Amino acid sequence: MSALGHYLEEEGIATVAISLVRPQTEKTKPPRALWVPFELGRPFGPPGDPVFQKRVILAALRLLERAGGPVLIEDFPDDDPRARPDSAWHPPMVAAKLEREIGSLHDAHRRWVAERGRTTVGLSGLSIEECGGTIAAWLRGEVPESPRDGVSAPLLLRFAVDDVKAYYLEAAAAGAARPSSRQLGDWFWERTAAGAALHALRAACLASEDERLKLIAGNFIVPALRVQNPG
Amino acid sequence: MTRLTDLPPAMATRLAELECPDFATQPWVSGPPLNERRVAIVSSAGLVVRGEMPFRGRDPDCRVIPGETPPDRLLLSHISINFDRTGFQEDWNVVFPLDRLNELAAERIIGSAAQTHYSFMGATDPVLMEPHAREVAGRLKSDRVDAVILSPV
Repeated sequence: MSALGHYLEEEGIATVAISLVRPQTEKTKPPRALWVPFELGRPFGPPGDPVFQKRVILAALRLLERAGGPVLIEDFPDDDPRARPDSAWHPPMVAAKLEREIGSLHDAHRRWVAERGRTTVGLSGLSIEECGGTIAAWLRGEVPESPRDGVSAPLLLRFAVDDVKAYYLEAAAAGAARPSSRQLGDWFWERTAAGAALHALRAACLASEDERLKLIAGNFIVPALRVQNPG
Repeated sequence: MTRLTDLPPAMATRLAELECPDFATQPWVSGPPLNERRVAIVSSAGLVVRGEMPFRGRDPDCRVIPGETPPDRLLLSHISINFDRTGFQEDWNVVFPLDRLNELAAERIIGSAAQTHYSFMGATDPVLMEPHAREVAGRLKSDRVDAVILSPV
């Protein structure tokens, strides 16, 4: 980019470059450059923020009026406000995939129950489809009412999460093979829509204003061993 | 943020150590105040007007972007997958700030926006781009442009 500035300036046209990678600009030594602390691909900063974008472009263009060159490199002072995560965002598809996936495991789970004579699913008192629906609703940003007296909506969510985990891990262990807990955990957390949904649910709940929900999200959805991007 | 410390180490090293041209001269063109300047955008994002040939790999030439191009006609054909495209998808001004330039002209902060803007493919060896850049300079002068904002991705 800075090289283009060099060629155009040699031809008599004044230029100012936006710089995203400062060391490259320092090496190429363009006549004028404004380094911006934005991610690659966003030279003018946040999408949908004309006021901020105009500050960037104007800060660059104002360098055209400055003396002191050649080689004038300034830094734009502010970060891109859209680089911050938005807690109101919920990933699409995850909820729908979870609900479909639950249905696809029915046969395996029935096999488990037939083989073992029991299931540990049942904390929530909901059917497994209702458990999936509860998680899906939270993922869509809704807060479904708890149908059980004495069980708040966040507590019901916790129970539904536990039931879904139990359902999956039982379904996965049906049959003659004896998978290790690590194998089962790797599968659930890394390769299922449910695992992806619970990671997304944790992230969304942690961003909530509701302290109780944060507590549940932080401690009772994703095991510490499986938390992605801790901190 | 493109602070090198925020990038994966291998990528940060590659970007910081990328070989850059070492020019013998340091040109510096001065000019009138901003409110008398005619400004063009020259992007290295591999931008192309829909229906025209996208940049194939590291094509060294440029693509012309008429000033009346609507946002839904502008595509991004840069070869690299290692930069954000969601900003451009949501708002073309993140990469190609034509609306902002037109607003600055309407507000008389700049003299005017150019009739035509240009895009190169930033991953191309700058030495190969040189003749095309000089050709663009001629076209810019024909359009009375005396200021260019260079926009990377």
